[in-house]
Amino acid sequence: MIIEFLKMGGYGFYVWSSFLVVFTFCTLLFYKTRKTLKKYEKEFAKELENLPAEHKKRIAKSSKVISSILASQNKLS
Amino acid sequence: MEFFSFGNIIVYIDKFIKFINSIFFVILIIGLSFALIISPVDYLQGDSVRIMYVHVPSAWIGLSIFSLIAVSTILNFLFKIKNLFLFTKSLAPIGLLFTCLSIVTGSIWGKPTWGTWWAWDARLTSMLVLMLFYVLFILTLKYFKNNENLTKILSILSIVGIINIPIIKYSVEWWSTLHQPASIKFLGTSSIHTSMLIPLFLMLLVLLLYCALIFLMKYKTEIIKIKKQNIKRL
Repeated sequence: MIIEFLKMGGYGFYVWSSFLVVFTFCTLLFYKTRKTLKKYEKEFAKELENLPAEHKKRIAKSSKVISSILASQNKLS
Repeated sequence: MEFFSFGNIIVYIDKFIKFINSIFFVILIIGLSFALIISPVDYLQGDSVRIMYVHVPSAWIGLSIFSLIAVSTILNFLFKIKNLFLFTKSLAPIGLLFTCLSIVTGSIWGKPTWGTWWAWDARLTSMLVLMLFYVLFILTLKYFKNNENLTKILSILSIVGIINIPIIKYSVEWWSTLHQPASIKFLGTSSIHTSMLIPLFLMLLVLLLYCALIFLMKYKTEIIKIKKQNIKRL
């Protein structure tokens, strides 16, 4: 039964290769996008770390973007 | 306009990403079960009809994204809205991916149904032209990013490129092509059975959720890039 399912009535090569191409390229783009996002989040958090403590506290309080990134970085670490 | 500030947008992006992550795999498994197991075999094309469940949604997404990009680019050129520029920049790679996927899966479907991987007919050629417009758009974003004429160049590309969209849509009616006419009509009766429409729309939903996920991650990256520049200036 499984062999019949994989054969897809003789069109197995075409059906499976279509789904595989879509799955492979979607996965590649997902990992590439996530890697880039993590890289920028990390770099950004590092640059914030280098700021004077007083300054860092002030902008983290006033900026939702910064507090969100710091929160996600804290979750990772 | 406060609602559209980067601060608010990033909070909603995080919430949406979490929501999509929580439902994506369930919908993917349901979609694949319908597409590969439950949906019936076509009386003419046999099981090869299952390629439709990835080919058609990919083509729809490729076309819709280019239309969105074109409208946003023109609006950005006219009204200088920064969010729209980030919107187009984040969408373009997704549109290119799905246009390429629709061409590749279409080619794989073509072999068992038409007996050839490729034919220079109107539908296939116009899809290839769309792919070239995406490539040009992305290359322009990459190599003219510091150019003051960037939005002007992108608007010209969008205006020329959007002419191709109705050509793709009506190519099967205007010319004699290997490609079949549309089976699904949004205004009118579709010639496709519900048992095939359900898996088709389920797979469309899966791919749309995937697009939303990639778009949100890319958009967030672009916001961080801008904030990073601002920190450097401090």
